[in-house]
Amino acid sequence: MALPWDEAWLREVLETALARGGDYADIYLEERRSTLIALEDRRVERVHVGVDRGAGVRVLKGDSTVYAYTNDLSRDGLLRIAEQVSRAAAQGREIGLSQLKKLDEEIPSLEDAPLEEKVKVVQKADEAAREVSPLIRQVMVSYGDVAQDLIIATSEGELVEEKRSRLRFTVNAVAAEGGVIQTGFEALGSTAGFSAAFKESPPEELARVAARRAAALVKAPPAPAGKMPVVLAGEAGGTMVHEACGHGLEADLVQKGLSVYKGKLGEQVAAEEITVIDDATLPGKYGSYRYDDEGVRARPVVLIEKGVLKEYLYDRRTAVKEGRNSNGHGRRESYQHKPIPRMANTYIAPGEWDPEDIIREVKEGFLVKKMGGGQVNTTNGDFVFEVAEGYLIQDGDVGPLVRGATITGNGPEVLRQVTMVGRDLGFTVGTCGKDGQGVPVSDAQPTIAVGELIVGGTRVGNVRIRRL
Amino acid sequence: MDLLEVVSAAVAEGKRAGAEEVEAFAVTGTALQIEVRHGQVETLEQAQETGLGVRVLKGKRFGFAFGTDFSPQGVKETVERAVAACQLAAPDPYNLLPAPSTAYTSPELYDARLAETPVEEKIALARFMEEAAFSFDPRVKIVETSTYQEELSEVALANSLGVSGSYRGTVCGLYLSLAAEADGQSETGYALKYSRFLRELDPRALGEEAARRAVGLLGARGVKTASVPVVFDPYVAVDFVSLLAPALTAEAVQRGRSLFAGKLGEEVATSKVTLLDDGRLPGGIRTAPFDGEGVPTQRTVLIERGVLKQYLYDTRTAAREGKASTGNAVRGSFRGQPTVGPTNFYLEPGGQSPEEIIRQVPEGFYLTEVLGMHTANPISGDFSVGAVGFWIKDGELAFPVRGVTVAGNIKSLLQRVDAVGSDLRFFGGRGAPTFRVSELKVSGH
Repeated sequence: MALPWDEAWLREVLETALARGGDYADIYLEERRSTLIALEDRRVERVHVGVDRGAGVRVLKGDSTVYAYTNDLSRDGLLRIAEQVSRAAAQGREIGLSQLKKLDEEIPSLEDAPLEEKVKVVQKADEAAREVSPLIRQVMVSYGDVAQDLIIATSEGELVEEKRSRLRFTVNAVAAEGGVIQTGFEALGSTAGFSAAFKESPPEELARVAARRAAALVKAPPAPAGKMPVVLAGEAGGTMVHEACGHGLEADLVQKGLSVYKGKLGEQVAAEEITVIDDATLPGKYGSYRYDDEGVRARPVVLIEKGVLKEYLYDRRTAVKEGRNSNGHGRRESYQHKPIPRMANTYIAPGEWDPEDIIREVKEGFLVKKMGGGQVNTTNGDFVFEVAEGYLIQDGDVGPLVRGATITGNGPEVLRQVTMVGRDLGFTVGTCGKDGQGVPVSDAQPTIAVGELIVGGTRVGNVRIRRL
Repeated sequence: MDLLEVVSAAVAEGKRAGAEEVEAFAVTGTALQIEVRHGQVETLEQAQETGLGVRVLKGKRFGFAFGTDFSPQGVKETVERAVAACQLAAPDPYNLLPAPSTAYTSPELYDARLAETPVEEKIALARFMEEAAFSFDPRVKIVETSTYQEELSEVALANSLGVSGSYRGTVCGLYLSLAAEADGQSETGYALKYSRFLRELDPRALGEEAARRAVGLLGARGVKTASVPVVFDPYVAVDFVSLLAPALTAEAVQRGRSLFAGKLGEEVATSKVTLLDDGRLPGGIRTAPFDGEGVPTQRTVLIERGVLKQYLYDTRTAAREGKASTGNAVRGSFRGQPTVGPTNFYLEPGGQSPEEIIRQVPEGFYLTEVLGMHTANPISGDFSVGAVGFWIKDGELAFPVRGVTVAGNIKSLLQRVDAVGSDLRFFGGRGAPTFRVSELKVSGH
């Protein structure tokens, strides 16, 4: 069922929201259709389908945000939350309401696959993973998709009608031998549509990679403990750049004084080899969108250029505060949340080096072939990321696989320490959490040598490390 | 609107649509969130929410659907989607719904004061908490957020075997996150408390706690790699205790992905460790008369003085072993079908004060914050996390530490717990006191 709306209503809601003053108001109508399929123990355990319909009304007044949302999408339901917001935002200044102008653009049509097809990719992955090794004891596969219909109307007159869809597919293989249990995890996240997504990354292939990793980790020794030179492979994904600089460049944290990058625009904050871009317009990527969740058109944003800090990530509220325009990074998890500045697809631009030469140059150290999750304290810049697949580098070659560990470092320090940047580029996907909201993102980087970092393994003394 | 009518209408609709058995879960409620920063109300958020989740059973297959529309047409559509979904799920002879029970308790879950208290007083709580932090120490310079949150909700559940029940509950909480600055260095601190009752929120204590945590870390530095005794403060202890929950579910055991599979009756921890799940805990955030399937909640001892006693069960995992459910079918929201999980899950407190536990350490690490806890692996038990805290020298806190990691495996950690404190503290549905392990790897420079 389509979202019920017409321009007269939306205008009435915005007028009501601003009736007692305010600088800006908007309304966000959302219908979200979702599917979840989960397989474990060779059986399709869960098939969930759901429809979420809700609306949020917001008024900005100075530094304050007043927000209300409801599942009641009737005219009365919307007017009720608009009235609630207006009462809470009372005593703002009066502003005129601009005429709503619907952006005259073609709305993308969403490709959907029958539920049977979605179940099939899950089963294919399970079979492929189990064939990899007799050590595989359990395989968990999940498929989830979300299709969103959105109407965003603002007191500045914008009216955006948008449709989006994304899917996420994960394989978690469990291998065990002699009391040791290890897991291998692979995830696909895409906005390219069902057939394109699985054409690019077949489910069986993801499953084999996950299962091979789990089986190999069972026999691998623990990772070393201590400080050593680290190389991040391009295929490792971009968790490091997401944590080490991305979050610290979100304008809300910067304006609150909670980022190490505060007041550093135009300054050298990274090695000259480093250029960082966030581009929500990349086709098909998990973090991509045409319009952000405040109805602002997405565009590529160069955050760091040749080591110099160029721009932060803004939503409307933080942009107004600096007398500038939003650069399309106001995002929200759903109608249940207000928009805040967020990343989309963040990456370090490729450089000149052949990835193999980087490993040869480093000679002795630690190679991260696959990153997992991470976290950052933006205030002091300390970050961690999980190593899902790591190897020792010995005599300039890739040495033995070691069991995962966390790597920790300090964002600005690490970015200044980068010496070599490869010409490859590898993406990973994730759900980024901030202020209790999860949004889909992707991140990427080329193979890079990041100098010395602390590897948080459990083994001491059995790794040859040459001090550089 | 009577919620019990909504769920019984959904059950009847499911029978009409051809389901053998039907279960409906509905929730309705209001929520309020206030964020204060430097005296100003930065965000005021109000919500009215409704949701319905329907699970149907047909040919031993479960199907599930959810929706937000309680109108007869909305309920009908949700039920029909669930029936369609179940055709694609695999059959399982143990897929069952529970029969009605007369053993529901009536715990106190609702604080009428929440609805009666005006928004202004709740704003004042958040302001007061922030002021307490600022006046605790002049080096507290920036508040990220001083937040008050509340939820008033009603839950109803019914199934076609005759289960029918509903309850109302409230949750309120305070959360403060701030930064202290000195000599060009910034360090952060936070504090939080969630309760069912407004009277249990103490904004001054929380404000001072967050301030103390941030100020204490000023001047933090790294340490050399070492294996030393590590003391876990309750904020961190609770993260590690939570890591055990998935492995203690019968689901993980039956699926071969639990560290505790085949270990019933064995010593899996030192005798200092007693671990409980209590769905009836007075005042507990996860306390309820019945679980997500309508089975009465109970108190379950999982590990008793180091010995593994029991796993957590829902109806299906219990049926598979010919046992009774422990009332541990949990629902995150109306958007998912129930899974096996903990209710109020906690490490039983011991007799020593945290100060005493630290005083006995000649050289070690007092862990007060971790980074990247979500990367710890509940299946393998491996963890490696960024660590923040204090270096202990001769039983005293010598200097603050950051930029290091601690790593190990939760299974061996349990075998090394040599002291448990008396200061049990709950963070939502999980609780832990201070505890100490005899040795853990700290990676530094």
